[in-house]
Amino acid sequence: MRRLLAVLTSSLVIGLGLVTLWGLFPGSPVASITAALLQMVVVIGAVAVLIGVLNLLGVHLRRIVKGDSGWPYSVVVLLAAVAVILLVVVDRMGLGGESDLGGFLFNAVQVSVESALAALLVFFLVYAAARLLRRRLAWGSLLFTVVLLVVLVGWLQIPALGAFNGLSEWIRAVPASAGARGLLIGVALGATTAGVRVLLGQDPSYRE
Amino acid sequence: MTPETLETLAGWVGLVLTLLVFSYLLGDNVLYRLAVYLFVGVSAGYAVVVAVEGILLPWLRGTLLASGASGGQIVMGLVPLLIGLLLLLKAYPPLARVGNLGMAFLIGIGTAVALVGTISGTLLPLIGATGAALAGDLVNGLIIILGTITSLLYFQYMVVRRPDGEAVQPWPLRLAGTLGQIFLIVTFASLYAGAILSSLTIFGERVAFLLARLTG
Repeated sequence: MRRLLAVLTSSLVIGLGLVTLWGLFPGSPVASITAALLQMVVVIGAVAVLIGVLNLLGVHLRRIVKGDSGWPYSVVVLLAAVAVILLVVVDRMGLGGESDLGGFLFNAVQVSVESALAALLVFFLVYAAARLLRRRLAWGSLLFTVVLLVVLVGWLQIPALGAFNGLSEWIRAVPASAGARGLLIGVALGATTAGVRVLLGQDPSYRE
Repeated sequence: MTPETLETLAGWVGLVLTLLVFSYLLGDNVLYRLAVYLFVGVSAGYAVVVAVEGILLPWLRGTLLASGASGGQIVMGLVPLLIGLLLLLKAYPPLARVGNLGMAFLIGIGTAVALVGTISGTLLPLIGATGAALAGDLVNGLIIILGTITSLLYFQYMVVRRPDGEAVQPWPLRLAGTLGQIFLIVTFASLYAGAILSSLTIFGERVAFLLARLTG
């Protein structure tokens, strides 16, 4: 049974993958099948999101029931999730009047916490850069620090620095861009190789 | 509640939450955790709302719940829901392998889409742009091509075995790798500087928001 399921899973992956690939080429005769498959995957993805959220809420519910350490935080998670869903339902039923309760929650919580967390990052980035210098000084960390300072100071565009500003711009436009292209091409080559391996049935990880 | 009242309330809630998150600068504490757990809860609730409102309901209205839905429409509406429910079996170890059938849909179709996207959206445009760099300033163009190739070669671990059995990297590859390492360090430093500046900008915006709220 295990073997049959593994063969069935691999066949599905390879078959669906090849049909989708074929359908994505311009003028393909199976384009409509691919479009339907893509729509179905989006729906499956949405169901997966629901399952994921249910799992998250289940984990927190178990923490509350068992009285694990930090269970009051789990109460916050559960209440917040349920409150959002209820507020949006109330909103859609027209019981909230003219006010946009969903937008309220988005602005009040999502945007505030996300931007505050992003703002906190500046302290950790600067602290990490300072720690880099306190470790054993190697040519790599020295080069990193020099480039970091040149780019940061160059961004200020202080007129008195003259050509220095140009150096910062050049670093970003030429060597940094070259390295980024190398990285991105490497990532794309890796993704392509992994994709081909999956479509050839050479990657058994999803059958486990 | 009027939209204006809600907007004012959102501002004050935002102020409190921002202060709770900033309290992390004094160390990990209850207030910070409260804000983060609240964020997780709200995000989870939002994910459900978006998935149901944006995807599942329109799909059901177009298939299963459509007036005078045909047999094909009903099957089309049910199939992804049943496959999605198969994923639930992944959480039950004895039937986890049956749940893999649901995963097979996501992996097979996702891989094909990713493959096409990677080749046509990243690989070919980047190779084209790197080659086109020569059309501008020749020296800069050559540096970009050199940097791109050596950065890739840095991740190449090909070695040759000497007669005494020792595995060594050929010197041209070692040299290219070292050059690539320099380009990568410059890239990471530049990206790091960008991250510092971005977060500094957001920090400035948050501080301005706090001051504006507190001073009216």
